[in-house]
Amino acid sequence: MSKQKMTARAKEEARWGWLFILPTMIGLIILNFYPVFNTIYQSFCKTGDFGKGNKFVGLANYQAVLSARETWQSLLNTIKYAIIEVPFGVVIALILAVFLNQKLKGTSIYRTIFFLPMVCAPAAVAMVWRWLYNQQFGLFNNILHTNIAWISDPKIAWIAIGIIGVWSVIGYNMVLFISGLQEIPGDYYEAASIDGATGINQFFNITVPLLSPTTFFIVQTRLIGALTVFDLMFMVMDKTNVALDKVQSIVYLFYTYAFTNGNKGYGATLVIVLVVFIMIVTFIMQKAEKKLVYHN
Amino acid sequence: MMKKLLALAIAGMMVLSLAACGGGSSSSSSGSSSGGGSDASSGSGGGSLTINIWDSNQQAGLQQIVDEWSAESGVSAKIEVIDWDNYWTLLEAGASGGQMPDVFWMHSNTAQMYMENDLLLELDDYIANDADMDMSVYYPGIVQLYTRSDGKVFAIPKDHDTIALLYNKAIFDEYKVDYPTDDWTWDDMYEAAKKITEASKGEIYGMAMNTSNNQDGWYNLIYDYGGQLITEDHKGTTIGSAEGKAGMEMVRKLLTVGAPQSVVAETGTDSLFQSGKVGMITQGSWMINSFYKAEHHEDYCWALLPYADLNGNKQCDEGERQSCYNGLGWAAAANTSNPDACYDLISYLCSEAAQKKQAELGVTMAGIEGISEEFGNAFEGMDVSAFIRMEDFTLYFRPYTRNTTVWEDKIQQAGAFLDAWQDPSDPAKMEAACDNAQAIIEAAIAAE
Repeated sequence: MSKQKMTARAKEEARWGWLFILPTMIGLIILNFYPVFNTIYQSFCKTGDFGKGNKFVGLANYQAVLSARETWQSLLNTIKYAIIEVPFGVVIALILAVFLNQKLKGTSIYRTIFFLPMVCAPAAVAMVWRWLYNQQFGLFNNILHTNIAWISDPKIAWIAIGIIGVWSVIGYNMVLFISGLQEIPGDYYEAASIDGATGINQFFNITVPLLSPTTFFIVQTRLIGALTVFDLMFMVMDKTNVALDKVQSIVYLFYTYAFTNGNKGYGATLVIVLVVFIMIVTFIMQKAEKKLVYHN
Repeated sequence: MMKKLLALAIAGMMVLSLAACGGGSSSSSSGSSSGGGSDASSGSGGGSLTINIWDSNQQAGLQQIVDEWSAESGVSAKIEVIDWDNYWTLLEAGASGGQMPDVFWMHSNTAQMYMENDLLLELDDYIANDADMDMSVYYPGIVQLYTRSDGKVFAIPKDHDTIALLYNKAIFDEYKVDYPTDDWTWDDMYEAAKKITEASKGEIYGMAMNTSNNQDGWYNLIYDYGGQLITEDHKGTTIGSAEGKAGMEMVRKLLTVGAPQSVVAETGTDSLFQSGKVGMITQGSWMINSFYKAEHHEDYCWALLPYADLNGNKQCDEGERQSCYNGLGWAAAANTSNPDACYDLISYLCSEAAQKKQAELGVTMAGIEGISEEFGNAFEGMDVSAFIRMEDFTLYFRPYTRNTTVWEDKIQQAGAFLDAWQDPSDPAKMEAACDNAQAIIEAAIAAE
């Protein structure tokens, strides 16, 4: 099976092809592949200051990371955050999308309102929520006449952070759902209403199954997003917050070690542990796709 | 199967690239203020210099002094402020990537690391050739800090700071408590705080101190009681000793009548004070501006830090009243395109005239000893002389080791002093926290 010689035209096309994908390739190699391999390499090193003088130490970092209580605690915190953010973010967004997909007056205004959190800088969002939650002067405690330490009580702080997460992703999920909804042909609904199906029936028997590819996509991407959460905890909670230990995500822990303490090797190891965990989750999700997603 | 592998690989990639983006995304939050300090070195040939600092309170005053230098030297220089946390992340990234600002502040937390890695411009030759530069006029602790073990100098002292007690007269008046005096012991402070907290039924707290108020807070009690957070050779600690524990026991006592940890972690002691929720806090001289500009600044007064009457003779003896002091240094990047201009700027900023002016403008007290008197008058209507009076007592240099941040953060958090702060009524917790802190610091020093 010897390859046929390329014609001049094919060669020319191939050249242009390479030229067109070159910018992306270079970007990927410099910004993604190089850091990936560098991170893997660093996880086996006791890294020196300022990226100089890395010493190979084998699995010492892995030993330290896997035997540290805080690693598992922060992994658990991350999972707890995902358990709030993903299901609520998806369900609320779906309900909103169904309502806003109807031909009513002012839907575009509502769509804009719900999408706004997506446009705001996460740091600004976190600062606003930090003040809403504040125990002394916060709006929530003032309106409810309570004195709850929303973000300092380890028992509820993780929920409080999760709520911010849900609020921030609803708009994005909703837009994806709306575009998914518009793909569903109207005939199904017409036929169903002629047969006497109620709105609720239609929702569960037409919308939910036909939307399942979109739902699956959102769940999968949001799950990865939630497992890599960092900015919320970082911006909302002070370093001296009592609840931090029970809320900080694994990426937060990575930030502390790699950037605050300058221990890049340990940080890299934490990230690799997270990668492996996400790979497992993704693998399970891919398996589940066949059973859960309805394909025409 | 290929598709699945691909999905896995992509998922992995997304996470891994975090390692690369982590620094970038965190810096974007301060992006507006930093504005990309790295591309500043472009103006080689004496055109311009970038200066990075972290305290916006000092920006206006320093820029004024820098502008005077620019008028003399013909080299323009612009000060950029990056907040404390991001300052170090960015500087480290810049140092690793070879793009640092030209002139910037150094701090005791990290100076050793930067000096050992040859990232700062060596100033010895410049100092030797500069007839006006005399290193002996500066505070010796600060000079020592910026001198490497082989004797080379990498930064010149910019300023020094001390700590004082800040109180809100209005609150003291309302609850009929006598104002703090120069003769106060820590126990007097406790009694006053107790009166305020109890009389207000917990509406207002007599005092507030977070675990992060270290240099300006609990460090000073450790030293008053004879402990040392970091021993003088920077190789150990006595926080777990009887003296260290005695100091922290006094802290614990104060905390029982102060604002709870959950409150100070959410609002910050300075904000609590400025909103009239707290009667007293201890603060460093670098924070004066923030209180001077506050809404109710006419109610705010500064007093000497209280002392520990260890021998019970009702007067403050040698070593019973100590204040932490620290000094920033002006340093330049080793790879700056214009080292001569950098040194010229540094020597100008560290000259007696400029440092006097710095004190007059109320930016900070000077790095040169004995010329900060004017700082006491810089804030019209607010007497800040307590910071200068403090210099008649014992000053100890801010505890540091090679990589200070590692243990400094850890001892403020759960597993160390945060446990005791959470439940100050239990002396056993504070004692355990001291032992834990001892272990944390020793382990961190061993790993340096």
